Amino acid sequence: MVEIVFLAPFVTGVIAFFVPRSLGRPLLVLTGALHLLLSILLWIRQPEPLFKAYFAVTPEGMLSLLVISLLFFLISIYTVAYLQESDIKAENIFTGSMLLFLSTMTMVTLSDHIMVMWIAIEATTLASAPLIYTHRTGASLEATWKYVLICSVGIALALLGSVLITISMDVGQVDAPVSFSALTSVATQLDPLWLKAGFAFILVGYGTKMGLAPMHTWLPDAHSEAPSPASALLSGVLLNCAYLGIFKTNKIMQAAGLGDFSGMILMGFGLVSILAAGTFILKQTEYKRLLAYSSIENMGIIAFGTGVGGLGAYGAMLCLIHHSLIKSSLFLTSGNILLGYGSRLIDKTGNLVNLMPKTFVAFFSGFAAISGLPPFGIFIGELFVVMGAFKAGHYAGATVLVVSLCVIFAGFANQAMKISFNSSEAAISLKERASLVLPQYVLLATSLILCFWIPDTLYRTIMNAVTSVTGGF
Amino acid sequence: MNIPVDTILSLVLLSILFSFGSSRLPGLIKVLAFQGVIVSIVPLVIGHDLTTGGILFTLATLTIRGIVIPLCIYLAIKRVAIRREVEPIVGYHASLLAGLGLIVAAVVVSHRFEAPSSSASVLLLPTAIALLVAGMFLLMARRNAIAMVLGYIMMENGIYLVGTTFSVRALHIVEFGILLDVLAGVMIMAIILQNIKQTFDDVDTALLRTLKE
Repeated sequence: MVEIVFLAPFVTGVIAFFVPRSLGRPLLVLTGALHLLLSILLWIRQPEPLFKAYFAVTPEGMLSLLVISLLFFLISIYTVAYLQESDIKAENIFTGSMLLFLSTMTMVTLSDHIMVMWIAIEATTLASAPLIYTHRTGASLEATWKYVLICSVGIALALLGSVLITISMDVGQVDAPVSFSALTSVATQLDPLWLKAGFAFILVGYGTKMGLAPMHTWLPDAHSEAPSPASALLSGVLLNCAYLGIFKTNKIMQAAGLGDFSGMILMGFGLVSILAAGTFILKQTEYKRLLAYSSIENMGIIAFGTGVGGLGAYGAMLCLIHHSLIKSSLFLTSGNILLGYGSRLIDKTGNLVNLMPKTFVAFFSGFAAISGLPPFGIFIGELFVVMGAFKAGHYAGATVLVVSLCVIFAGFANQAMKISFNSSEAAISLKERASLVLPQYVLLATSLILCFWIPDTLYRTIMNAVTSVTGGF
Repeated sequence: MNIPVDTILSLVLLSILFSFGSSRLPGLIKVLAFQGVIVSIVPLVIGHDLTTGGILFTLATLTIRGIVIPLCIYLAIKRVAIRREVEPIVGYHASLLAGLGLIVAAVVVSHRFEAPSSSASVLLLPTAIALLVAGMFLLMARRNAIAMVLGYIMMENGIYLVGTTFSVRALHIVEFGILLDVLAGVMIMAIILQNIKQTFDDVDTALLRTLKE
């Protein structure tokens, strides 16, 4: 019974709304542990879902599920320490929303029916909206408003896209279940015109949620205003969930022989996102927004790689996993910096290396990892994407990608140096307890280990997810 | 050609024009409620599913789209005593002209598609497209946050109308899930509206401009 993986956090989430904080915090960690356990069981046993029309265990879904589960468990440990240090009113709403958010994201990874996928992705928006408004300030309210409105409108377009795909079934007179797996197998019979239109709307819709430029405007606000554990979840796994919707639709397009069409659009959106992120990273003044724009950049790379296909798609998958691990660790670290300096401005920070040495280790290695320096996984992923792009003959696109990556690295490095080594008169009162830094270390270490040693089942799962798109290398 | 369906759909098209020219929020909400009622009963009138489940689902849609959602927004306005003007960025007369152009364009465009629905009703697809685009227009051309939420709902109505052609195949439980999502979304938006009003003492989105690069 697969459904229990998202039903369990749903139940505990609803409970968490009604219990005091002394119970809510352990509940958060316990649910995280339980969820991780269930996901690992799911990975090993691969059981059949109860409602086969709506849910399925797919390679890409399992991959995302495992990432979500691991991240949530580590983040929940950090969250308990973070909540002790910070002053959050209505903590039960925060914990409850975190758990509901986990439940909805799990549902995204397991859903197979096109409309159920849409329902789950829209539900992630609704469950995460209270998280962004946790601090109850004017700015956080504005960020929440932007997030809910822009994402709801965007996702409404994805609903239209899903409906158009069902119309392509009607026009092509296909009689199959409206699920991604069934549609992929009958893709050639679908009406190409309606299918193309459906893909375009789905890409714009879920692309809004994934943070692709020019629909990304909500992302930096939401990620910077949310409390850091929530930002880590938003950036680390929510973006992947939206990507999953695009990935599965792209699979249908590939199977229908329209891969060139969808690939071109994906590459276009990818490059625009990378360029947009680059311009904003260069003149950024807040470190959490800096990280948010870096997420947009990485999502751009992933979209580009998926569009390239072949080796690029494999690289994109690697980038997806490593970005989740590294970016969530960086957002957690930014929570420490915020607790320590009490400001989100880069100018108000400095001398992190001496003031908060443990945090500095997490921050600086995270920065090196996310900018694509070896030996971290993003490096390998980006390398594959660039190689794939050259191999497929997209020279102009690959060149733009490489140049932008260099510029982004320079901009990011400049800001990271300021935070780490500039002089600062700030008095840090935060004690760097183990639970405030260890989760980041574990996340970074996981990313590091996955570069040198990918477990066989994991490798096969990635290959299964990718080769079904591209038909091998 | 299906006379009853086309008659009520033409009323929806007129209601779009009315909403573009309307300066008052309560009037706009009534238009939305009217549209919600119409789009929920269209599948029934077309005669797609006259099963018990289908009728029950239509009733549920009717209640949520036609009554609960508009009521939600109405209560949000009432409780916080928001100024009841929509604060247009594009003026009313220009909006009306745009609305007319939009309807004409929707009819022209929909002729190019061979949607499976065109046998059931001539106006179904044009109305759906017009609602969709009109919703987006309200989202962009009004500064009042409530008018923006209403634009979003209008968009959703349009998408639902596109989906009616597919409701033959759809499982009601899935459609109901979509409906619940939309309802929860509108409720969250209503809560945010109240908070915006309390924090900024207005719902003019020009005030929501602090987060900028």
